[in-house]
Amino acid sequence: MSEHHITPLKTYLVIAGALFCLTAVTVWVSYFDFGSFNIIIAMGVATFKATLVALFFMHLLWDDKKNLTMFIMSLMFLGIFITVTLLDTGFRGGVNPEVEYPINKRAAFYDSLPLTDTHGNPVDEHGIDSHEGDEDHH
Amino acid sequence: MAENQKQNYLTHPKGIMSWLLTLDHKRIGLMYLLGGIIFFFLGGLLALGMRLELAAPGNDFMSNETYNNVYTLHGAIMIFLFIIPAIPGALGNMLLPLMLGAKDVAFPRLNLASFYIYTLGALFVVYTIISGGVDTGWTFYTPYSTTSTSNVIPMTMGIFIIGFSSILTGLNFIATIHKMRIPGLTWYKLPLFVWALYGTSLVQITATPVIAITMVLLILERLLGIGIFDPALGGDPVLYQHFFWFYSHPAVYIMILPAFGIISEIIPVHSRKKIWGYKFIAFSTLSIAFIGFLVWGHHMFTSGQSVFSQIVFSFITYFVGIPTGVKIFSWILTMYKGQVSFTPPMLYALSFLFLFTIGGLTGIFLGAVALDIHLHDTYFVVAHFHYVMQGGTIIAFLGGLHHWWPKTMGTMYNQTVASICCLGVFLGFNGTFFPQFLLGLRGMPRRYATYDPQYAELHNYSSFWSGILGLSIFIAIMNLLWSLRKSNKLDPGTNPWGAMTLEWTHTSSPPHPHNFEKDPVLEHGPYDYDKVVVEPTFKK
Ligand code: HEM
Ligand SMILES: [Cu+2]
Repeated sequence: MSEHHITPLKTYLVIAGALFCLTAVTVWVSYFDFGSFNIIIAMGVATFKATLVALFFMHLLWDDKKNLTMFIMSLMFLGIFITVTLLDTGFRGGVNPEVEYPINKRAAFYDSLPLTDTHGNPVDEHGIDSHEGDEDHH
Repeated sequence: MAENQKQNYLTHPKGIMSWLLTLDHKRIGLMYLLGGIIFFFLGGLLALGMRLELAAPGNDFMSNETYNNVYTLHGAIMIFLFIIPAIPGALGNMLLPLMLGAKDVAFPRLNLASFYIYTLGALFVVYTIISGGVDTGWTFYTPYSTTSTSNVIPMTMGIFIIGFSSILTGLNFIATIHKMRIPGLTWYKLPLFVWALYGTSLVQITATPVIAITMVLLILERLLGIGIFDPALGGDPVLYQHFFWFYSHPAVYIMILPAFGIISEIIPVHSRKKIWGYKFIAFSTLSIAFIGFLVWGHHMFTSGQSVFSQIVFSFITYFVGIPTGVKIFSWILTMYKGQVSFTPPMLYALSFLFLFTIGGLTGIFLGAVALDIHLHDTYFVVAHFHYVMQGGTIIAFLGGLHHWWPKTMGTMYNQTVASICCLGVFLGFNGTFFPQFLLGLRGMPRRYATYDPQYAELHNYSSFWSGILGLSIFIAIMNLLWSLRKSNKLDPGTNPWGAMTLEWTHTSSPPHPHNFEKDPVLEHGPYDYDKVVVEPTFKK
């Protein structure tokens, strides 16, 4: 902390240039379809850019390493949050397949059953909502 | 001495503005204490209102809608306006710099800003109450919270704002602990209350941003119809619960860790014995803080989350019990063969040990998926969290208040009255909440204003004892305030319990405006009762 690092302007410009190039890469790869890797590639490039910003523009590379530790820790907690939540959404159908998808009108659950309203009466394919009003007096 | 007596932070400088704009951590601590106590009182009145309604089965004097408002406000006020801010804000602010031998916290202005951010958030909550209340429960579960017509937005805004106060206080405390210790005060010589505040602060800065963003997402969905939690818009309602509990389970450690810290101070001092297992206690604080981030799903066993996550969450939940057990046993071993004196702070600490253990163990029951599916949303859960939050945190808070009162205010309360009140709190508390375990086991669901007659006897009993509980806390606080009368000043050198941390040995009571008249020099560790004799001194 005591010695203050002064970054040469050149470093800033090089990093800024790199960020622009990487933006171009993001745009360029969006023209190709890599299937499920699309998101991984896009996020990979974005993460790399964010790392550059944190290391150079936010000075984490030269600062007291406690600051870097704090920064990495917060990323780690974000990682925990996302991964463990995925343990839920990724495995919802494990025991009861009908809960695999979110409950919406196009969920797999509804495909496998004839559509009914809450009283068990059949409804047409326009969905449950269209019958709401006139079912009340049952 | 007479000269000294005038130079204390309470009387110097003078004037209302010198309080409102103060940068002195001690004054900011007192302002937090005042704010906290006001909301404690308000939350307490709401609780007594609920117990009165529940004394008999029917809708006796509240409609179901009113009842929904009352329990929501009770929970939200107690948690967000009292327990979470009050202990770090009041006792933490007051004591941390003193324990480190520092003049103030690392960022005094930021500290004052935290207090005003808390006040601003509190105003939002007050506005919510005045403008008709909110009825979603303190957890604001979707889809109800996105569709309820009550004042969800001002309430969640308030919580959003208070979150920043919490984050800034945490940040300030961490910087203070790293940078402001006097020479020689190494990590393992810190009082355990400081370790507890360190753990709490880490949780505050890592978890609180998540509740803030959760509240924002909720508001966005309500106002703009962005589909985050609503499945019809492509969202997922269970995601809300992940967000909420990713903060709120760690938040229960924001509530309990400072309480652990208080107990770790009270027990060695009033047993006149070196703390047993210093490092165990210090590191169990950090491991609780960390494991606390991995167990949030135990609040969601009936939410429809995947069976796989249920197993993982249930399994990890048991690990929380280990560091917690380590602490309990360390405290008990500290008392073993010590000279235990049954002063009011110690009576509170003993109540804590008993009540918190019941709370923690019933938490383990609830952590077992198979059992929780039956007990979730029953009074068993209500009893569990009151045993940990009131029986644990609030009792430790009262104990800490009685322990440091002579230090911070320079007066001694009537100890007999204080002890009787402590007994009243203990009996009233068990009388109120133990029956709720039984009610829960018999299937009484939480959050209802009415119930089947078979539950009447236990409910009635619980309501009766809640009156004793409320009254005892009220008298205990009045007893403290009554001690402030002029004729009651103590000699500034007073150290009534013979404690040996810096705030007792190196400053006057109440402390000097700049804490220490000359730079303190560390002479011994915080609990060296085996090496040094510090006589209790108690003079008027
Ligand atoms: C030994 C450690 C603990 C364990 C294993 C534990 C476990 C649990 C579990 C499994 C639940 C969910 C019950 C349900 O909703 O069905 C729960 C609820 C709760 N616990 Fe704990 N707990 C522990 C300690 C604490 C502490 C220290 C606090 C606070 C100071 C706390 C506060 C709460 C609260 C507020 C709730 C209820 C939230 C709500 O639904 O409104 N717990 N606990
Ligand atoms: Cu929990």
